[in-house]
Amino acid sequence: MNPIAVIVRKELHSYFNSAVAYIVVTLFLALTSVWFFAVYQFAARDFASLRGYFAVMPFLFVVLLPAISMRSWAEERSSGTAELLLTMPFSELQLVLGKFLAALLLVIIMLALTVTVPLTVVPLGRFETGEIVGQYVGTLLLACVGISLGQFVSSLARNQISAFLISALVLLLITLLHVATAVTHLPRGAAAVINHLSLLYHYHAFERGLIDSRAVVYYLLLSVGFLYLNAKTLLLKKWS
Amino acid sequence: MIELVEVHKSYGSVKAVDGVSFAVDSGEIIGLLGPNGAGKTTILKILTGYHFADSGSARVARQDICSHPLSVKQKLGYLPENAPLYNDFTVAEYLRFVAQARRVPSDRQQQRCAFAIQQCGLQDVVQRPIAELSRGFRQRTGLAQAILHDPEILILDEPTSGLDPNQILEIRRLIRTLGRSKTVILSTHIMQEVEAVCDRVLILNKGRIAATGTAAQISAEFAGGERFAVSVIAPAGTDQRVFDDIERLAGVQHVRISRLERTVRISAEVSLEPPAATGGGQDGSAAEPDLRNAIDYDGGAALFDWAVARGVRIAELRPLRRSLEELFVELTR
Repeated sequence: MNPIAVIVRKELHSYFNSAVAYIVVTLFLALTSVWFFAVYQFAARDFASLRGYFAVMPFLFVVLLPAISMRSWAEERSSGTAELLLTMPFSELQLVLGKFLAALLLVIIMLALTVTVPLTVVPLGRFETGEIVGQYVGTLLLACVGISLGQFVSSLARNQISAFLISALVLLLITLLHVATAVTHLPRGAAAVINHLSLLYHYHAFERGLIDSRAVVYYLLLSVGFLYLNAKTLLLKKWS
Repeated sequence: MIELVEVHKSYGSVKAVDGVSFAVDSGEIIGLLGPNGAGKTTILKILTGYHFADSGSARVARQDICSHPLSVKQKLGYLPENAPLYNDFTVAEYLRFVAQARRVPSDRQQQRCAFAIQQCGLQDVVQRPIAELSRGFRQRTGLAQAILHDPEILILDEPTSGLDPNQILEIRRLIRTLGRSKTVILSTHIMQEVEAVCDRVLILNKGRIAATGTAAQISAEFAGGERFAVSVIAPAGTDQRVFDDIERLAGVQHVRISRLERTVRISAEVSLEPPAATGGGQDGSAAEPDLRNAIDYDGGAALFDWAVARGVRIAELRPLRRSLEELFVELTR
C-alpha cells in the first residue's frame, strides 16, 4: 500500500470517529441552504444561476475549514502520537500530503452532498452546466488553500484551539484582502497587487462559473506553498 | 549497530545531552539509567530521528540518522515515553495501521499482528477502543506496536512503567527473549530492571555519562564494597564488638541487640571492603579455592567463615544493594 494512502486512511478513520467531521458537514449543508433559500431568497429571484449559493461558501470556509484542519498536527503533538508518526518510515512530505488529501476528501464528500441543491433547482430554469462545473472547481480549489493553510498553522500551534483561531483569522484576512483597496486610497498599481492577493477577488470569477487561469494558478501556488512550509516545519521542529 | 559520537542537544538554554558517546553491538541489551531529566529520553529521541542532535554524529547500522532517515526508521521499533496511542482506534485497527505504516508485506501482516498480540498478552482487548484501555494495556499495546514489524533494533522508553509486578516480569522476559536476536536500548530509573534485563548499563546524569559497565561492575565500582544485613545469634553478653574481628570490615551500622532467653540476637548492616586484586591466580592449578583470595572473594562466604570462627550462628544474611538514589548521590557529588 502506498505510504500516502496509509496516512489518508488513518486520517479518514480519525475524522469519521470524531464528531467534528459530522458537525462541520451538517453545518455547511444547513447554513448554505438557509442562506440560499431563506436569506438570498433564490425562489423570489428570476435568475437561473447558483451564483448566490456559491457566493456564501468562502465565508463559511473561513470558519469550517480551520475546524477540519485544526487537529491535524496540534493534536498529534499534544497527545504524543506525533512521535510515533514521525519515527515511522514516512517522509515529511508523505505525511503532509496524506493529511492534506484526507481533509480534501472530507471536503469533496461535503461538496458532493451539496449537489442536491443544483439537482433541485436545475429543472426550474435554464441553468448552464458549465457554470456549475466552474463553481464547483473554484470552490474545491479554495478549499485546498484553506486546508493547506490550516494544517500548516496546526503544525506550528501548541493546541487545537489556537490552531483554529489563528488559521480562521489568517484565512479571513487573505479572503478579504481586496476590501482594503476599496476603503483606502492606494496608488493604482498597489491596489491591483493587493486585489490579486485576495482569495475572494479571484473567487468572484469562479462564482460566475469562469475558470480563470490566474485564479487557478494563484490558489494552487498558495496550496503548494503552505504544504511545502508544513513539511519544512516538521523538519525544523526536529532541531527545536 | 548503534554509534553516538560526542552528541550534544539543548532545548533552549537547557542542556539535555552534553557530549555523550557510546556504541552498542548488535544483540546487546543496553539500559540507560538515570533520574528524570538526565537525558535518557533525549538520547532515544535522537536515535529514532524524532529530534536531531545539535552537534556530534548518531549512526544506526552505519547510516547517519539525519541523512538517511527512512532506511534507519525501517530498522527501528520505538516505544515512546508514556506509550502515546491513537485513542479513536481499537487495538486491532491500530496494529493494522502500524503494520501498513511499517511496510510489513500484506501477506505477513495478519501473522505479525497475531504474534505481537500474543507476545504482549493483548488477546482479551483486541476489539476494545484504545481510549478505554487501562495504563497497563496501553503500555503493552505500545510495546506490541514496537515489535510488530520484527525490527532489528528496539528502542524502549521506560517499557515497564505503569505495569503491575506480574506484567513487569512478563515484559522483562519478553525483552530478554527479543534481545537474543535484536539490539535493544531501553531507559529506566529502576536499578533492578537493569540488573534483570540488560547486558550493559549507561548511567546518565545531567546529560553526561556518569558510569558505564554491567550492573555488577557499576555497583562494585561505586558502592564501595559489599553490604550485608546480618543477624547473628550469639551467647548472652555479646555486644556489637563481635563484629570487630571480621577481616576487611569497612563499617557497621544500625546495630540492634535484642535479648533472648539465653542468647542475644544482634542485627546490623555490615560493609565489607573488597580485597585488593592480587596479580591473578597463579596459573590456577586446581588448588582449593581460597575464599579470602581476591579472585574468588565473596562477602557472604567471608561472613560465614567469620561466624564459624567466632562461634556465633547466622540467623539472617542478606546482601544489600545500593539504590539508584544512593549511587547517584555518590556519582554526582
